[in-house]
Amino acid sequence: MPQPRLISSYLTVLAAQLPAPIVEELADGLTETHRSYLQQGLAPDDAAKSAVAEFGEPQEIVAEFARVNPARRTARRLLGIGPVVGACWAVALITDRVWPGPLPARILVGLALITIIGLLAASALSTRYRLAARAGVAGCVGIAILDAVLITGVTFTGAPMTWLMVAAMVASTARIAFAARSLVPALAR
Amino acid sequence: MRAEELKGHLDAVLLAALEDGPRHGYAVIESLRQNTGGRLDLPTGTIYPALRRLEQAGLITGSWSVVGGRRRREYRLTAAGNRALSGKRADWLDFSAMVSAALEGRPCPSPA
Repeated sequence: MPQPRLISSYLTVLAAQLPAPIVEELADGLTETHRSYLQQGLAPDDAAKSAVAEFGEPQEIVAEFARVNPARRTARRLLGIGPVVGACWAVALITDRVWPGPLPARILVGLALITIIGLLAASALSTRYRLAARAGVAGCVGIAILDAVLITGVTFTGAPMTWLMVAAMVASTARIAFAARSLVPALAR
Repeated sequence: MRAEELKGHLDAVLLAALEDGPRHGYAVIESLRQNTGGRLDLPTGTIYPALRRLEQAGLITGSWSVVGGRRRREYRLTAAGNRALSGKRADWLDFSAMVSAALEGRPCPSPA
């Protein structure tokens, strides 16, 4: 039996915002719901209207999927641990009076950090699935690169390896490992 | 019952719907409807993200099959899901017994 136009349109709206496997699962559920209304004696168009109404607003479904997106969860965790890692670096650099790289490079690192925080915040708060996923992955990659740049910069500056500096480098390395591990499920969606 | 009233208990309700064996999304919804005498009034589409969340938490596991030319995702409880369901069920029984006792003005039974 051909799919009623209302159901096709509903799925098209979802397909524009969600990955194909999720839309396939929703399509199966919506088809079953439609079939159930047909079995109750409704005309095909009325059954389609009831099925779509029962499923709920597409934006509500998309927002719920955005909330369970692994990239969004990773973004929230990175935002949570960010101040801790940042404080480790601030204390180490200020206490040891180490300022790796020339001033323009430091400004660049600062701007990159602001951009990354913006990306992670966009992922953590967005109700749009694809935005939450892409911003989360970009923020995740960005923070890992920034940590690597910080570790490399301090190492090549020849800064004294005090325990504060080692603690900051360990914190950054742990964050790189967390970001890398989190990227696998985030990219699989 | 509206969705807001079920908040906090949706996970337990979904896990319970999978206790008797694997089910796909629509069958989970049908099971909830039957078990609650049709009183559970949730936007059906929001059940699917909840199932994904439980899967990410390792409480259920999903697998694909093809039925009638359509791809279908079926979910089953994991061992962790079974343990979580037992815990949530016990918590709910304690909680409901406490609230019932308070509302009816009788002594609260000791927790199991």
